Amino acid sequence: MSSIALPSSISRTRTASRTNREPALVRWLLTALALAFLFGFLFLPLTVVFTQALGKGWAAYGAALIEPNALSAMWLTVLAAAIAVPLNLVFGIAAAWAIAKFEFPGKSLLMTLIDLPFSVSPVVSGLIYVLLFGLQGWLGPWLQEHDIKLIFAVPGIVLATIFVTFPFVARELVPLMQAQGTEEEEAAIVLGASGWQAFWRVTLPNVKWGLLYGVILCNARAMGEFGAVSVVSGHIRGMTNTIPLHVEILYNEYNSAAAFAVASVLALLALVTLAAKSILEWRIKQQTVDRS
Amino acid sequence: MGALLAMLKKHGVLPGFSITLGFTLTYLSLIVLVPLSATVLKSATLGWDGFWTVITAPRVLASYKLTFGAALAGACINAVFGLLVAWVLVRYDFFGKKLVDAFVDLPFALPTAVAGIALATLYSSKGWIGQIFTPLGIKIAYTPLGVILALTFIGLPFVVRTVQPILEDFETELEEAAASLGANRWQTFQKVILPTLLPALLTGFALAFARAVGEYGSVIFVAGNIPMVSEITPLLIITKLEQYDYAGATALAVSMLIVSFGLLLAINGLQRWSQLRRA
Amino acid sequence: MSIEINDVEKSFGRFKALKNITLNIGSGELVALLGPSGCGKTTLLRIIAGLEAPDSGSILFYGEDATNRHVRERQVGFVFQHYALFRHMTVFENIAFGLRVRPRGQRPSESEIRRKVHDLLNLVQLDWLADRYPGQLSGGQRQRIALARALAVEPKVLLLDEPFGALDAKVRKDLRRWLRRLHDELHVTSVFVTHDQEEALEVADRVVVLNEGRVEQIGTPDEVYDHPETPFVYHFLGDVNLFHGRVHDGHARIGETQVDLTGGSDHPESAIFYVRPHEIEILRDGGGTGTIAAKIRDIRPLGATVRIELERIDDRGSVEVELTRDQFGRKGLSEGDKVYLQPKRLRTFDGNTKRETTLEAVNR
Repeated sequence: MSSIALPSSISRTRTASRTNREPALVRWLLTALALAFLFGFLFLPLTVVFTQALGKGWAAYGAALIEPNALSAMWLTVLAAAIAVPLNLVFGIAAAWAIAKFEFPGKSLLMTLIDLPFSVSPVVSGLIYVLLFGLQGWLGPWLQEHDIKLIFAVPGIVLATIFVTFPFVARELVPLMQAQGTEEEEAAIVLGASGWQAFWRVTLPNVKWGLLYGVILCNARAMGEFGAVSVVSGHIRGMTNTIPLHVEILYNEYNSAAAFAVASVLALLALVTLAAKSILEWRIKQQTVDRS
Repeated sequence: MGALLAMLKKHGVLPGFSITLGFTLTYLSLIVLVPLSATVLKSATLGWDGFWTVITAPRVLASYKLTFGAALAGACINAVFGLLVAWVLVRYDFFGKKLVDAFVDLPFALPTAVAGIALATLYSSKGWIGQIFTPLGIKIAYTPLGVILALTFIGLPFVVRTVQPILEDFETELEEAAASLGANRWQTFQKVILPTLLPALLTGFALAFARAVGEYGSVIFVAGNIPMVSEITPLLIITKLEQYDYAGATALAVSMLIVSFGLLLAINGLQRWSQLRRA
Repeated sequence: MSIEINDVEKSFGRFKALKNITLNIGSGELVALLGPSGCGKTTLLRIIAGLEAPDSGSILFYGEDATNRHVRERQVGFVFQHYALFRHMTVFENIAFGLRVRPRGQRPSESEIRRKVHDLLNLVQLDWLADRYPGQLSGGQRQRIALARALAVEPKVLLLDEPFGALDAKVRKDLRRWLRRLHDELHVTSVFVTHDQEEALEVADRVVVLNEGRVEQIGTPDEVYDHPETPFVYHFLGDVNLFHGRVHDGHARIGETQVDLTGGSDHPESAIFYVRPHEIEILRDGGGTGTIAAKIRDIRPLGATVRIELERIDDRGSVEVELTRDQFGRKGLSEGDKVYLQPKRLRTFDGNTKRETTLEAVNR
């Protein structure tokens, strides 16, 4: 039993002993090859986005961003994420509580089903709502009678976004809450806390970084989703276009600079997501180390 | 009070089981299960013969060939380079390693449409990389090669992120033992390290493959989308949809769903195997 | 507060964890639930706490049926095996938790909470750790903080699950003495679970020995150690030598040897005799009746005592004898010596009633 907590930064590198070292030349070559691969596949595409975006100067860049259709696309993207992320957050917490804190039959089936949207093609994810709510769909005629438009309208976009981001929070929380067990919550209840108090004061603080991690990933996907949204959107400019769809339209009109300008907003979002993700991973690791 | 006792007997003192599970199942059914079942039911209206005709039409078969072929190629490239990247990140020190490590997840974070137009620009005959290959007579963008490229990009993090933790936990004593028994580095890698990493490597491979099979956004910009040549199955679904061929789109979608479920089961099996190996 | 446990049963699936447990715990008593892992002791503790519900039977607190009472209302303090300290809270906040979650009306004021937490920290002698996080404490410190946290709600009953299980041998010894002293000060009815017989014998007023979901014996440490009621208790509370033999007319026959006995006569013909290692005398010479010839195979000094392993000459069975350093020194034994063993006491159990009978060997 150590009397002092472990140092928080555990080096990720296994400082290999002499026997476990490759010759310097091999090490150097492998590193160079790996970095070259990452450079060509990750760094260059990202750089291209920004150089193309600024290819016609800052003025054109700014104009592409504040153009009304671009602004409306941004608004719709934010709206869809603002609805999808909280819903999936609530779902993720509920699912994680049920799965991690209780035993019941069919649990692993449930977990597989929750993961399902990740393995469905984005195009199919959009299509299933068209088949359900579209004019030719099961509920289409009824919806039309009552003058409700879901497909090729904002609700369809929100639905498709919810579907593709469905598992993110649950997936992050379930293993985390399972690893933490139920002893701390039981201790809280023995000490007189209600279930709600145990959740807010004990469970939630213990998983907060993991929760945030799931939310960040969920949000990134929600704002960047293309395929599923494309199927249900109808591509009506200024009405049912999200940022990625707007990028597509501009690009297909050979308005490359504007397309990349708008795309650069998404690329920046991706960079912020990556930074937040790295910080949170470090935090989660620290929390896990503290526990042992 | 009797109810309390019954609850306690079943689920212990923590409350909220029924409500959270109830909500989970309802939400799961409404968002995922009902729409998916409706799709499968819809395809049934086509009849078996109709279904079979749609999913085996020559243009569809060509799209399968491209989709699965390119996904497989991308996953293979990622298995090799993903392992290499994971190895270098875990075992070696170099300047900016933390940054590179964080950067590996870019394909998860970057919207696919952005990746698509960036790759198309980069690898077109006038692009930074494309112009290197043009004199050699190799066209990358707007050919099946472009599809492989896009699918490699979006699958890149999977192998790295599944192999990395296993490599971090790897007991270096095992390597030292192998060395003390007379094995050289390459033999140690082949006979000791690789077998340990294999389940994770396969899992990463399968995840990259599964993701690539369904991918749409990044591919359509760089593929050229020529029927029979560079048209992927998800695009064909959209084409059918735009021609109001709902039955055909549904049939294709269901055939893809079946493949997805098969892959999901395979991946679950692989992950279980991987965990068994780790324990 | 006294606790009555009446005929409690509990199964997990097809596994019967507890079978007809009946037990009374007096007010202010310190009771140990002792048994090997899987004997149901932790389940019983969790049922007393209200963390699990019994399948049948009842729990009475001070004569009142508490079986249906929620754990929140039972006024128990529970110290978890791995302490279950809230790791995102400081030591101070951990101890204050039980006071802070009270309904607004019953919640003490901030200054009251502060005073109370510091009193408790003083009680467990860790006042200087108030602002630390659990991750920064040693095992022994965590244990004491967990205890302080449980005491903060002024429980009527204190329940501890393997309180010393995760600690080093030295810390463990210090802490159990400290717990005993604390109990003598506070006089809270306390029940703790342990698989360590030494711990149970040293700390508890009474020991409940459990095996496979049943109570084997309940008694003071002296009673269970000196007068085990079942072979299981005999084995579990320390080392024991078994001699197969026969009882017959006031004699016990073990192999070639005949031991004269006082007491006990109507026993079954064949019997197993139980003798603790320290209940055997080693004689350098003096064959004849009442002694068993043996050869010394191994001598291991273990702190204050010396453990000697011998091999019987007649059937090559092995026997363990424990001597104090003094006794050992006076006898001057060494490996390979041929000696004579004289059991001072033999015990045997009647298979049906599982009652113990002590047979004193006649000293000659």
